[in-house]
Amino acid sequence: MVKVVLKGITKRFGDVVAAGNVNLEIKDGEFFTLLGPSGCGKTTTLRIIAGLEQPDEGRVYFGDRDVTDLPPYKRNTGMVFQNYALWPHMSVFDNIAYGLKVRKVPKEEIKERVQRVLDLVKLRGLERRFPSQLSGGQQQRVALARVLVVEPEVLLLDEPLSNLDAKLRIEMREEIKDLQRRLKITTIYVTHDQEEAMVISDRVAIQNKGVIHQVGDPGEVYNRPKDLFVATFIGRGTLLEGIVEREEEPARIRVGDLIFQGRFSSDHKKVKRGDKVACVLRPENFSLEKPKGPSNLFEGVVEWTAFVGPYTEVRVSVGGNKILIDVPPDVKVSVGERIRVYIPQEDTIILPLEESP
Amino acid sequence: MDLRGFLKRLRREFDLMTISQTVIASVVLLLFLIAPLALMVGQAFLYKGTPSLTWFLKILGNREFVSLTPRGGMLFKVHRGIMYLWGLDYGILMNTLIVALSVMILCSLIGVAVAVIMARYSFKGKEFFRVLLLIPLLATPFVNAYVIGKLFSPRRGLINFLLCDVLHILPWRIDIDGLVGIALAQTLAFYPIVYLNVYASLMNIDPSLEEQAENLGARGFRLFRTITLPLSLPGLAAGAIIVFIFSMEDLGAPIGFIGARANPLARKVVSYQIYSSFAEALTGGISPRTAALAVLMLFITVAGFIAIKRYVSLRSYAMLTRGGRWSPRVRKLPWRAQIVIYAFLLLLVVTASMPQIGTILLATTNWATSGVLPTRFTWEYLKALTTNPDVTRAIVNSLLYSGAAVTLMILVGASIAYVVARRDIPGRSLLDILATIPVAVPGIALAIGYFLFFSSYFRRTLLDPLIDPAPLLVFAYSVRRLPFTSRAIFAGLQQIDVSLEEASLNLGAGRPTTFFRIVLPLIAPNIIGGSILSFVYSMAEVSTSVTLGALREDRVPITFFISQIVYGVAAVGAVSIGAALCVLLMSVQIIAMVISNYVLKQRVAFLGV
Repeated sequence: MVKVVLKGITKRFGDVVAAGNVNLEIKDGEFFTLLGPSGCGKTTTLRIIAGLEQPDEGRVYFGDRDVTDLPPYKRNTGMVFQNYALWPHMSVFDNIAYGLKVRKVPKEEIKERVQRVLDLVKLRGLERRFPSQLSGGQQQRVALARVLVVEPEVLLLDEPLSNLDAKLRIEMREEIKDLQRRLKITTIYVTHDQEEAMVISDRVAIQNKGVIHQVGDPGEVYNRPKDLFVATFIGRGTLLEGIVEREEEPARIRVGDLIFQGRFSSDHKKVKRGDKVACVLRPENFSLEKPKGPSNLFEGVVEWTAFVGPYTEVRVSVGGNKILIDVPPDVKVSVGERIRVYIPQEDTIILPLEESP
Repeated sequence: MDLRGFLKRLRREFDLMTISQTVIASVVLLLFLIAPLALMVGQAFLYKGTPSLTWFLKILGNREFVSLTPRGGMLFKVHRGIMYLWGLDYGILMNTLIVALSVMILCSLIGVAVAVIMARYSFKGKEFFRVLLLIPLLATPFVNAYVIGKLFSPRRGLINFLLCDVLHILPWRIDIDGLVGIALAQTLAFYPIVYLNVYASLMNIDPSLEEQAENLGARGFRLFRTITLPLSLPGLAAGAIIVFIFSMEDLGAPIGFIGARANPLARKVVSYQIYSSFAEALTGGISPRTAALAVLMLFITVAGFIAIKRYVSLRSYAMLTRGGRWSPRVRKLPWRAQIVIYAFLLLLVVTASMPQIGTILLATTNWATSGVLPTRFTWEYLKALTTNPDVTRAIVNSLLYSGAAVTLMILVGASIAYVVARRDIPGRSLLDILATIPVAVPGIALAIGYFLFFSSYFRRTLLDPLIDPAPLLVFAYSVRRLPFTSRAIFAGLQQIDVSLEEASLNLGAGRPTTFFRIVLPLIAPNIIGGSILSFVYSMAEVSTSVTLGALREDRVPITFFISQIVYGVAAVGAVSIGAALCVLLMSVQIIAMVISNYVLKQRVAFLGV
């Protein structure tokens, strides 16, 4: 297929920056996700790739071709819209055949290719139905089939699962992932659901207020968030503000009366002694027994507990700081009890306070 | 960067299809709306070759146009057992404003009452009343006023016969005529406009807003005054201004009353004055004073329209509700209250349908000459529609003009609606305004503008009204009814998510393919619905038909023919044939309404800002 490159893409709507100097390189055949809160500009970025929106600055490349000035109908991308955008006046067959008819593919071949793609999305037999006669999941498959049938160079998916119920969403995301693997098509996926992004993607870009904060594989952005926004947007966690006491690793920071030893997530050379930093502690990294490696120990009073199922969420007050930890469901913890918890220094993430970039 | 970016954007937005759509729309609007009106305004401001306000001052300073004391007329005056309700003559311009304001206020009162009843209460036979309430919308130009004049005639009027001679409810006979007669005819014809607009507003109010107020203790009239009425005010304002404009430009009622009763007071309104001076056009030309009068009327209606339009768009907060469909609040009433509602609705429906019932009676019986009540049924007049060559020709003319006008309207209306709804080009909002402003342009003013413009700049061409008025009538119909078509299409486009078009572009289809394969099929019901109504309104168009249409005998449309009959100057004679033509108009309109409501499932809000 093709790789997609964005160079310095900027797009403003009035005062709102929907894309602020976005630079991305999406590899050939990669499943790439743009993740961010609603209104962060991820959909705009996707629409710029499709040619439905024109950037104020910057260029878009498919492979070595500069497609910035090409209208949408000359780009050969396949976009699945959030609301599917199925044409209500056309049957499933006509919806899917549309792109082929526009390309003047012979009738016999159209029939054959539509059948093949219907098999692919498991909709054979429904070609005479109209969109209003289909369930949400089926509509989703038609929308997917409609773009896959024209064999686009790039597949663009704009929150395709957001209109489905929770169970179907999990089913469909596995199917989409599976299809993408089989077809090896370069795919750019937009979502605000971090779990979805983690499960489905080869790589993830986290965008906020138009700006890309971090690009990396799911493990990387989860375990090594580059900045405060990424750390708080992805996963749960406690955020503590402190001051650097030692900048060499393992770094030491002071939060009130507490001392933490941990590691910098991003380039620690910029951080100096006495700088204000943030410390991110994921609840699932805590344990009640001392782990093998070097760790931080806290002692505090249980303030609040909530049974979630696979674990129990516990809020512990440690020297005036409230820390969220997960304990195994079989451990009984009650409010008012004093407990000791450990977190490996490895998992004590220290970040500069000001947001980058 | 900014200029370059702007040009780049322009290049992207202006593909071939957008260019042709914009050009078609602009040319038609420029040539057939802006230029004629601009020329008329220009002439009104010229006095002996120099710009001046002379013509306006001459009008405003003349007691015949503006008078602070009554110059005649009678109101609530009883004389020899007859109470005269004619209205007082404060000068032509003042009369027009007084009539228009009275009609607006009366229509608002009736319209709001009916809308609240229909939107908020449930009672037996409601669907039946829903249909009956719309009867006044059936067009019976000229004849409606003629019928009212006839019913309220002091000597042989049916109403006086019933109320005074048979039931003895009234101590004297009443004589409704002149300005009061015009106001009555217009009120009965126009109240559904307010009713429909307010009704739509009421149905759009989130019921939880009223429920919250009730929950906090407001009820009854307080609830209505503090919550319901303020939230439906945009609908009321929109309906009321349309009624005001329609009343000002109306020619049907004055001509109808003059035909029925020959009372000179019915002539003392602006529209009739302009109309009567149009007769000079055949021989000389139109005097700048007439142009100035038309300009005055145009300014008043357009200013009112724009003011209300701005107000309405500022006040569209009523729709800021969150999610979900709701069922409007409908309450059952105790039987006592139901009886009051029945009495009110029945009285209203009977009174307001008088013109239509009377028209049918005139067309099917000998009522025109028989006195108080008809004595004999006859097919004679309805048959004349096919046998009398003059009548048939007028019908064929009107069908042809309206058909051509609708075709043009779809082309221009769809172009404007699409460009306004979907393209981001400079001048887009101007196009939008130009497509709606014809609602506020009095037809008689447009007629004057057309005559001045095309008889001087297009002399001896196909567009010269003195050679053949037919092409100009087609354009006049198109422009005047354009708002209905473009609005209906615009509404259709708004219901179509843009992503449906983007999906097509994404799959490789260009703009024209997308327009014809995706957009057009989806808005087809709106286009057909809009054009059916526009067709009906074109058939019933009065102002330009009776002025421009008069310029050549073999080109006259139906409405001109009816006006001549009612006026009493047509060779065919009997008003009954005019009534028969109105029956034809009503039938066409009913068929159109049935088609658009039940076949196309369109509820086109056909009258609003």
